[in-house]
Amino acid sequence: MKSDPKKMRRHRQQYLTAWLLALLLMSCGGVINAGQVLTVVTWGGPYEQSQKKAFFDPFEQETGIEVKTIRYNGGIEILKNRQESDPAVGDLIDLVMADNLAACNLGLLEPLDHSTLPDAPDGTPAIDDFYPGALTDCGVSLNIYATVLAFDRRAFPGIKPSRVSDLFDLKRFPGKRALQREPIAVLEWALRAYGVPQQEIYNLLSTNRGISLAFKQLDLIKDHILWWQDSAQPARLLAQGEVVMASGYNGRFFDALVNHNHPIQIIWDGQVYEYSTWGVPRNAPMSKQAKAFISFASATDRLAQQAKYISYGPARASSGAQVWKHDPSGIDIRPHLPTFEPNFAAGISKDHEWYAHTLPRLKQQFERWLTE
Amino acid sequence: MRSSTPPWNGWIGLIIEDYWSRLETFRRLSTSCCIISNWKGHPKPHDSHKTASGIPGAIQLLIRYGVWLKKVLLRVLTMTLLGMAVGTCVALLAVGFVEVVEWSNEILLISPRSRMIEGDTVWLTTATIAVPTIGGLLVGLLCLLIPERRPHGPPDAIQAAQSLDGAMPVKAGAVSALAAGISLGAGASVGQYGPLAHIGASVGSWLSRAFGNSRYLGTIGIGCGAAAAIATAFNAPIAGLVFAHEVILRHYSLRAFAPISVAATLGYLVANFAFDRQPLFRVEKFAIVSPYEFLGFILIGVAGAVLATVFMKAVLYAAKLAKSLALPAPFKPALAGLMVGIVALQIPEVLGIGKEVLRFAIIENTFTAYELVLILIAKLILTAMCLGFGFAGGIFSPGLLIGILFGTLVGYGVDAVFFDQRSHIALYAICGMVAVTSPVIGAPLTTILIVFELTRNYDLATAAMVSVAFANLVGYRIFGRSLFDIQLHMRNFDLSLGRDKVIIERRRVGDFVSDDFTRAAADTSLQSVRDSLLHTGRTVAYAVDDQGLYLGMLSINQLMELGVKEVAIARIEDYATPGPLILSPDDSLWDAMVKLEDFVGESIPVVDEGRLIGVVFEASIVRAYLKALNEIRSEENAAA
Repeated sequence: MKSDPKKMRRHRQQYLTAWLLALLLMSCGGVINAGQVLTVVTWGGPYEQSQKKAFFDPFEQETGIEVKTIRYNGGIEILKNRQESDPAVGDLIDLVMADNLAACNLGLLEPLDHSTLPDAPDGTPAIDDFYPGALTDCGVSLNIYATVLAFDRRAFPGIKPSRVSDLFDLKRFPGKRALQREPIAVLEWALRAYGVPQQEIYNLLSTNRGISLAFKQLDLIKDHILWWQDSAQPARLLAQGEVVMASGYNGRFFDALVNHNHPIQIIWDGQVYEYSTWGVPRNAPMSKQAKAFISFASATDRLAQQAKYISYGPARASSGAQVWKHDPSGIDIRPHLPTFEPNFAAGISKDHEWYAHTLPRLKQQFERWLTE
Repeated sequence: MRSSTPPWNGWIGLIIEDYWSRLETFRRLSTSCCIISNWKGHPKPHDSHKTASGIPGAIQLLIRYGVWLKKVLLRVLTMTLLGMAVGTCVALLAVGFVEVVEWSNEILLISPRSRMIEGDTVWLTTATIAVPTIGGLLVGLLCLLIPERRPHGPPDAIQAAQSLDGAMPVKAGAVSALAAGISLGAGASVGQYGPLAHIGASVGSWLSRAFGNSRYLGTIGIGCGAAAAIATAFNAPIAGLVFAHEVILRHYSLRAFAPISVAATLGYLVANFAFDRQPLFRVEKFAIVSPYEFLGFILIGVAGAVLATVFMKAVLYAAKLAKSLALPAPFKPALAGLMVGIVALQIPEVLGIGKEVLRFAIIENTFTAYELVLILIAKLILTAMCLGFGFAGGIFSPGLLIGILFGTLVGYGVDAVFFDQRSHIALYAICGMVAVTSPVIGAPLTTILIVFELTRNYDLATAAMVSVAFANLVGYRIFGRSLFDIQLHMRNFDLSLGRDKVIIERRRVGDFVSDDFTRAAADTSLQSVRDSLLHTGRTVAYAVDDQGLYLGMLSINQLMELGVKEVAIARIEDYATPGPLILSPDDSLWDAMVKLEDFVGESIPVVDEGRLIGVVFEASIVRAYLKALNEIRSEENAAA
């Protein structure tokens, strides 16, 4: 990521004009929209904090629409239940891409028009600027995050784990592991540990043989796993020394490492990366405002802003060039992003479409294996 | 070939010729400014081809080396650009072909991923049976468009390259490619590398026509195309280069080597950089634990050859079986497709190329020995059926699968005997894989190089080399050089007898018929026959009746032995005998040569459906043979 000083200057100029315009809009818009509330369903924790700083607060200032958040732990159940019971919950929802696709297939989300998204500063249309697959029928992605493995540095003073296969190596790296009680990522890692190349993993997992092979690998450590369900847990478990290795979202681990100084280290090998995606629930009361919010938050500089506060890679290419320093620590955040070149190369691109269709069945098999 | 028009050197030739002729106009001096150089005082243009002093001057050197330079330029440019054009086109087509097949496999619920995503068992069952069956029907119907009523493949490329003309049919090639795409897309148990090599060879042959009509160009184009296809498909440029030489051209000439290398490299570049295609499968590094394991690799080679022979025999037997079936042709592949579908309900691994199996086989203990045997047998039988019953596709990929299962099985055996003392299962699996495929396509070097280029692992390539060497040795003895050669043999194109024979076997006596002979009507008197023979200096007269039907021949020697009286009264039909040797215009030159062995005489009558159409001289047959030999030699030894 080389930065061209001329380009930077141009960016800054455009950035300033955008802000001036925004201020102008704020003065009139703020009055018109006062009293409206946009309810956003999102993930909580440092992630929500970064969204507040990068999207919600500027949006409130500009439009006068207040942004309220509801915390959830992923999945599309919240959308399914909502239709039946409470139509008022949520105007906008931050979903993982697989859930976005699944919800879209079930008709739980409204279709989105990508032509209203703002162009990149150099004039590249948004459709070409977003990474491939980031824009879907019912979704506009905001960032790329990853499920990664991390370990407690204190637990392994000598040789440190560095590969996915080390998760399954109790001889060299003994101790408890904390893993998410979901088939996601653990199945991929199980096959990766056999030496299966990243591109072949989902093809193999599509066969009964592949699934049973993955469970066979997981059997090796089954008795040493602590299953977590709340995404705040893994970093805490590591920090408290209850487990030596854990899976979790890279943003959480980054937060624990940089903001709380916990001795945690991420294993980037085998990171399962995917998109976080905005979706508008069907029949949302404030759907118009929600769509306006998506356009506002999808601008190049907005997306780059989020990466200032949390280590998730922006979903559009032009934002990548603006990502630099972490706030408030001031460290160079780029090596902590899933999209950082060496991290990216070792990663597994989560097959959203595959998960969108197979997750319920996988969960059944997974739960059956757990009780075996 | 027309001799009146100058040879077509392609558009490169045209461009060079154009610039050259412009250069030459500078040299040609006009008559007005010429030196008077002869006694009679006529002004005569100075001939710059001749030297004034006997020592070549600047102009003569320019002319002398200019012609040479022009030739060099033409050759080098033609060869390089041919390689580049064929390499790029074929690589793009190959990538496109593979993409289309993969896309169809997703849409038609053939690939495991699409099947997993679909999930609905009723719909899956229906599709599993219906898709290959309907695909078979479509392929069967398409094949009706091909003159030979069968899809073309690598053997046709070999035949075109070996018979010196280097021309591949356009329609049959295109239809075969389409049929192969449908076969693979619909999940038939056939391979994709055969069709890819054939598409490459066809495109190479077609494109070469733009570069001139020298017959070597067609052959080189075929080589370039096959090399580029294999280089693209496997991400293995050296294997592509060797494949073209080892399987298609079967000789090394420097002239062919350069353009084929260029084409193979371009194929690799397109696959790797333009499209970022993944290779067939990547294998991590494994070390060989004990030197005694090489004994195991030898055994795998020997046993692999036997398995390969069973496999190839099964394919040939299925073809025979299909012929004896009283079914309309398009239903035969449909029947094979139906079989694939039914078996796939229980053993989904048999569908399509089965790439996942290759990966599973090199992971320890994924299969039980029972599963290995079951899948191996099912795949072998279904592949034989699919290929024999008329699906279009290759034999290499199914061979890889059968071989890798076999290798894994051997690995389990070694494990059972020498408990825990063997290398990683992948070593055995890959040795088994190459031990079966190499004798099938008759390409030991290519197979070793594919392993080497895919794994970049010396140990593994060395182990594979041992297996391949023994597999080909045994395979050649008990079956033949390759399935392609045996298939060609069954079409009367027997390469094992040498190229010279193959080439003159394809030339017909009819092309060498001469009408330089004495024809006599049945009632011609011997007297006039003798006069005519003496007058023309010929030694034999041929008698025909009034319908032109051949009655027999009469030589001057026979005439001389007859008495004066008989010569005076008898007619030719009374004494003419059919002669020791009669040829038909459809006889091959090779047949004629065999028959000529004991023949003494001037000419041989050529009779078509009883009618005498002319004679063939022994000398013209010998000359044709020598010419073929000469052409082969000049092609195989050509440097540039």
